[in-house]
Amino acid sequence: MLYYSELEGKQIFTEDNIKIGTLNDIIFKPSEQAKVTKIVIKSVHKNKFILPFKFVYKINTSIHIQKSFQISELEENELFIKKNLLDKQIIDLSGNKIIRVNDVILHENVTSGLTLTVSGVDVGWLGLTRRIKIESYISRLFHKLHIPRASVFLSWADIQPLDLMRGKVVLKKEEDKLDNLRPEDLADYLEQTNERNIRRFLKILEPKRSVEVVSNLNLNYQKDLFQHWIPEKCAQIIQNMEPDKAVDALLTVSRRKRESILALIEEKKRNIFSNLISFSKTPIGKRMTPIFFTINSSATVKDTIQKIKNDTHNFTFFATIYVVNNNNQLVGVVNLHELLMQSSETPLYKFMIQNLIVANLMTPIELVIRKIVHYRLPAIPIVDSNKKMLGIVTFDDIVDIISKKLFPSYA
Amino acid sequence: MLDLKKTIKTMPLHLKLKRYLFTFFAIFGPATITAIADNDAAGVATYSLAGAEFGYSILFVLFFVTILLAITQEMGIRIAMVTGKGLGDIIREKYGVAMSFAVFGGLFIANMGTIIANFSAIKITASLFGLSPLNLIPGIILISFLFVVKGNYKTNQNIFLLSAFFYISYIVSAFKASPDWGKALSSVVIPQGIVLSKEFLFASIAILGTTITPWGQFFVHSYVLDKKLSKDKLKYEQAETYFGAFLTDFFSFFMIVATASTLYTHGIKLVSGEQAALAIKPFAGELAGTLFGLGILNAGFMGIIIVSLTTAYAFSEFFGYEGSLDAPFKRGKLFYGIFLIQLLIAGSIVMLPSVSLFKIVFYTQSLNGILLPIMFFFLLTITNDKEMMGEHINKKWYNYFAIISSILIVFASIITISQNLFHL
Repeated sequence: MLYYSELEGKQIFTEDNIKIGTLNDIIFKPSEQAKVTKIVIKSVHKNKFILPFKFVYKINTSIHIQKSFQISELEENELFIKKNLLDKQIIDLSGNKIIRVNDVILHENVTSGLTLTVSGVDVGWLGLTRRIKIESYISRLFHKLHIPRASVFLSWADIQPLDLMRGKVVLKKEEDKLDNLRPEDLADYLEQTNERNIRRFLKILEPKRSVEVVSNLNLNYQKDLFQHWIPEKCAQIIQNMEPDKAVDALLTVSRRKRESILALIEEKKRNIFSNLISFSKTPIGKRMTPIFFTINSSATVKDTIQKIKNDTHNFTFFATIYVVNNNNQLVGVVNLHELLMQSSETPLYKFMIQNLIVANLMTPIELVIRKIVHYRLPAIPIVDSNKKMLGIVTFDDIVDIISKKLFPSYA
Repeated sequence: MLDLKKTIKTMPLHLKLKRYLFTFFAIFGPATITAIADNDAAGVATYSLAGAEFGYSILFVLFFVTILLAITQEMGIRIAMVTGKGLGDIIREKYGVAMSFAVFGGLFIANMGTIIANFSAIKITASLFGLSPLNLIPGIILISFLFVVKGNYKTNQNIFLLSAFFYISYIVSAFKASPDWGKALSSVVIPQGIVLSKEFLFASIAILGTTITPWGQFFVHSYVLDKKLSKDKLKYEQAETYFGAFLTDFFSFFMIVATASTLYTHGIKLVSGEQAALAIKPFAGELAGTLFGLGILNAGFMGIIIVSLTTAYAFSEFFGYEGSLDAPFKRGKLFYGIFLIQLLIAGSIVMLPSVSLFKIVFYTQSLNGILLPIMFFFLLTITNDKEMMGEHINKKWYNYFAIISSILIVFASIITISQNLFHL
């Protein structure tokens, strides 16, 4: 991570160590991925010229460029960092003044040649001290006084690139409206910022909401979070997540940490999680949800409805009633519509579907998908060799798998 | 829009006038309030002192001060209305963080001094009238804070305008002093009995310095912005600026006349301007003195609120926080916080018996003198910046006029500073 204020005024040398001038401004394309395209150089003769960024090959105490370079010009859809972004007023969607851009944060990537992107803006007072070159003194002072100092950032994803072209720095959302977002959207939104910001943000959410948001985060982000949090915090979040998601999360951390987290979770849930973790090595196990509804085949419709009322209030998915015999083996299924159509004293075995479509833990996922799609099933039961039910794979899980294949960027 | 213009064109004259007047009253406020606030308690003290010392002859200075004030304030409101930005916004965006810190720091300290000067004028006047400053000052702080936080732009503006009404007390005081009106009026346009001494020069500069101030420039700018006037009302707002400048010195005229026709005529020298209220009593009567004193209290009250509002506005412009009288307290916490902190600091300093208020006021006025040329540098560069001002950049002759005025003011402030520093 680089700050614009640290780059400005840096000396620029060619490969053969000839001084060209100093960095005067940086030009970027204000889009979702704000790539730096050019730099403005103030030459040793005090005139300014623009150089494409592709000629820059190293940035350290000075900036190094290739010796055979060509000068370029500003294009229509490009903006200057200093002239158009730095020090500008940031407003939210309803026009409230939030703060000014105190510094601009650039992200350096060296994987395929040197590239630089604008990753956010610094809006904290540390940014101000950096601008007047006293940040290091202030930091040292605060360190001595044991006062925590944190920079405050706004991610580039929070800023509307289009408005920037019109000379305004506008936030995509209203600051206080973030709270009204659905957890899924909030997760998407948070994924566009960095892990530290996510943590900071989760801190201010109420516990129930932060569980929802974490469940909706991409697994990579969850991994970062759980690796960072202490086991107590992890346990608190994980035990309130849906079992299959909880297990996904548990599997992202090291074995040792997983065990210490599990030890902190209440027994009933711990057993469910442990079982699922042991299944997780199979193709189906890690997709499977251990929450499903079973009832004995001799139960009447009335009994069934009563049991549903009693047992399923914490279900996140409920579409099918699985009917078992006295040995707890799966013998039939009933969907909710059929159940409601019957008179209340009819026992289930009289109308349940006995022609079962099931899968086991070793069934390839492709086959499970095909079965669900082909038979239009809301969920497929997973059974062991003894026909005992282990869990279900739901239509939702399948949609997740397919959409990740179709839209890799979504994942 | 076109149709509306056409209808206005074809309107009968009296309706047209009515329309213009209506628009004028809709925009009325910012420039007048700023101009009136220029006559804060420190200002009143300066005028009283000058009137007592030099009589009617000092009135000639008012003529120039009015023109200079009109020009400088007009540039301020023009920038605000054309760019939609405050002076603080523009300085931060054009000159960066370091300059912002420097200008804001200077403004904060200088304004602090002006607020202290106003508090001390209130304190002196209050004790002259037998009121206890120990109760009065905390009371004033509380009332000011409540009315700035609770009131929106409109209520604040109306209270300011109402407060401006109290300046009429100076007119009454002046009439009670039964001055030589013919001489007084003619002294404004024709120099009469001026003895060009060092003291006269300094008094003139002091009048200039108390009327044209850095905070005044900042305030008119921010206050016009906070009113959220659209650009097409510029002509009306310019007219108000000229009216405001006239009004400032209209009242100053009566302040000077009140002391000139009593104290100067009887050869009584004032130690400080605040004592004028008591000193004119034997000559102009009990009522005139009391009204004059009330006037100073009112001016002090208005001064502390407007000057600390200026700092709060400037802070939110420089650093990008919400800064509007219309903002709810939660959003504008920093804005209102800065406002209150200044009142508290200044109020506490004034209540400490051991602090030399004279020295504080003296040094901060020098700081104002240093800031003023910097302000004019900004005003002139911005009003000549075609990219920012478009068709509203300074006209050529206006520019010459503005530059000459600025040089005059800068020159005056340099003299004040060197006088302060080297005790000339």
